[in-house]
Amino acid sequence: MTQIVLVRPWRDAAMGGGCCSAGADGVCLDRPEAAHSDSSDTVFAATYRLLRERLPEADVQIAASSNTIFLVPSSYRAARRNNHNRFESFRRAMASTTAGTVLVDGEILGDIESMGADAVLGKVLASASR
Amino acid sequence: MPAPVIIVIVGIMFWLGYRYYARYLGRKTYGLDPNFVTPAHEFSDGIDFIPTNKHVLFGHHFTSVAGAAPIVGPAIAVFWGWGPALLWIVLGTIFAAGVHDMGSLVVSVRHRARNIGTIAKDIINRRARTLFLIIIFFLLTLVNAVFAVVIGNLFVANPGAVIPIFVQIPIAIAMGQYIYRKRSAALIPSLVALVILYVMIWVGELFPVDIGPIAEAIGMEPRNLWVIIMFAYTLIASRLPVWMLLQPRDYINSHQLFVALAIIVVGVVVGWETIVAPVFNEVPAGSPPIFPFLFITIACGAISGFHSLVASGTTAKQLDKDTDAKHVGYGGALGEGSLAVGAVLAVTAGAAATTADWDALYSDFGTASGGAVGNFVNGIAAFAGNLGIPIALGTVFAAVVVIAFAATTMDTGIRLQRYVVQEIAELAGWKKLSRNLTLASLVAVAVPLAMALLPGGGEQGYTFGVLWQLFGTTNQLTAGLALAVVAVWVTRNGRPSWPVIIPLVFLLTMTVWALIVNLMNFIAAGEWVLAPLDFIIFVLAMWLIVEAAIALRKAYRDGPDAGSSRTGGTISTPAFVHKRERSAADRSTTKPRGEGPHGGPR
Repeated sequence: MTQIVLVRPWRDAAMGGGCCSAGADGVCLDRPEAAHSDSSDTVFAATYRLLRERLPEADVQIAASSNTIFLVPSSYRAARRNNHNRFESFRRAMASTTAGTVLVDGEILGDIESMGADAVLGKVLASASR
Repeated sequence: MPAPVIIVIVGIMFWLGYRYYARYLGRKTYGLDPNFVTPAHEFSDGIDFIPTNKHVLFGHHFTSVAGAAPIVGPAIAVFWGWGPALLWIVLGTIFAAGVHDMGSLVVSVRHRARNIGTIAKDIINRRARTLFLIIIFFLLTLVNAVFAVVIGNLFVANPGAVIPIFVQIPIAIAMGQYIYRKRSAALIPSLVALVILYVMIWVGELFPVDIGPIAEAIGMEPRNLWVIIMFAYTLIASRLPVWMLLQPRDYINSHQLFVALAIIVVGVVVGWETIVAPVFNEVPAGSPPIFPFLFITIACGAISGFHSLVASGTTAKQLDKDTDAKHVGYGGALGEGSLAVGAVLAVTAGAAATTADWDALYSDFGTASGGAVGNFVNGIAAFAGNLGIPIALGTVFAAVVVIAFAATTMDTGIRLQRYVVQEIAELAGWKKLSRNLTLASLVAVAVPLAMALLPGGGEQGYTFGVLWQLFGTTNQLTAGLALAVVAVWVTRNGRPSWPVIIPLVFLLTMTVWALIVNLMNFIAAGEWVLAPLDFIIFVLAMWLIVEAAIALRKAYRDGPDAGSSRTGGTISTPAFVHKRERSAADRSTTKPRGEGPHGGPR
């Protein structure tokens, strides 16, 4: 199954802080801001929903660009699987932490915000047909 | 005892816990169902609710729960010997933290990814929600106070850490701007920032900043002056957008954490470090007894109520499959436990060369608690020394790791406290406070600042150990509230609730016991600030026990209701069809109209 990862930027909903902290939605009870959403998420949400709708068999994921534990090793392994040398694989793994990146089976397809949802879908389909 | 052997034994125990106990919890206690339609699918919007691969989600969850607190608690608690501290960390992680973190996640997922406070209202009663808010208020107050004191003490003891910590702020801001404006990969600037930070550690070592003379000129303890500076900084930092400073710095910190963990593991093995501390330490007369104080001194690292806030907040909204709760929730608890084990090794194998040296560091509870973080810093420096890093640089490096984490936690803590202050003000009908962000921020800063500075408890103000114990009790109360919610839910579903009830009872017993002992001590010593504070937390604990007992009794009396509601067991009602039966198109159209996952309009 094809895995598509949309790498999104840092956002209010994930404040970070480590251990003795949480996101606002962990403590807020009735306040609407408990479910934070950034405007930059709109294009990601649209792309995500379009891919889920049009490619129901694909494994579509959204990962924050700060999610080093997942992005770097998985992109490196994918690049090695695709016969890239170690240096190139390392370079691709580093690049996978760029906000806006679309990764298809570890390969970088482009930037979501400059392409838009429909173009991303087209590129993903073209990539899958190769 | 060779420290590498400890690493192997703990690793095996954690693996067994994950392999067998977490599986038991998933199958029997929580009844995880791979076909359950999680909120990530039900409300999938590509923004907050996103079905997320369990490895991706683990990355988010682990970096959200790992920080400075699992370092501080164990570094103090080895005062009673490394054996009890390690035993509580390992058993607590397997039988309490794993149950708590996984349970909070599951119960939130079964309640439309609402947070524990809101679920407490639904499952227990409305009073439980108020109780939740008050406990969180005290928890955040104490966490901000203790971390300010930690930072103050470390700056005084390691003046070389001042330059790197303050240079990290513009570096993080520049990094955030660079990533945003240039649309660059996040990792490379972060690694560059890390290198600059390490160069600054060297610079800081050459040019230590001692504010002692300034503090003396204004008649203040240097530690207290640092506390004031940190709260002033936090007040400003908490008003900035999170992407500007908080998140870039947290990102740098997460990489610092990986470096620190690598130094601990590789340094211990390369140097084949041996634990010089006694397994059981004979503590001087008048010291806090091991029961119950060990169990509130180590909160984070054995069980932490904060994890229920993370699990039932962002994480629950992204859980792809019910069964992933084991990997994300239980696995996250094991990760934090591993960090606590590293802290134990640092202060028992790295901080001192001989048992006599160690005895001097932990001669009494005041010395042990006041010097605990410094001992951790020195331990890490010793491990780094095994890898060829000069001790002086290693010391500043470790101090920078702890301070950077503590400062970021304060930043987040003040932001959260602001929300809580506004929530409480809203409930109390204080509209001016509930709607004025600046006023709420000032309240959020003023209360912990006063707590950290008020005189009493010794020449240096409150001894750090006392503040830490109060923080530990409120953290355990938060965990107790979450466990109570989980226990009631499990009981209502007719599933075996003993894996939840046992840690709940144990935790509340230890917490109440510690509060009573401390209360008597504070009254005897005439500590008329600490005594009322302790009494308030004691009242909250008793309130929690009463609410939990009433709710559990009712749940037992009413019997299981699995299958009659969405929240219990396998879903069989027509309104919530299994995921396999749903088409992708369905997923995008099944959000309840007019009502969002939080119960309000979308």
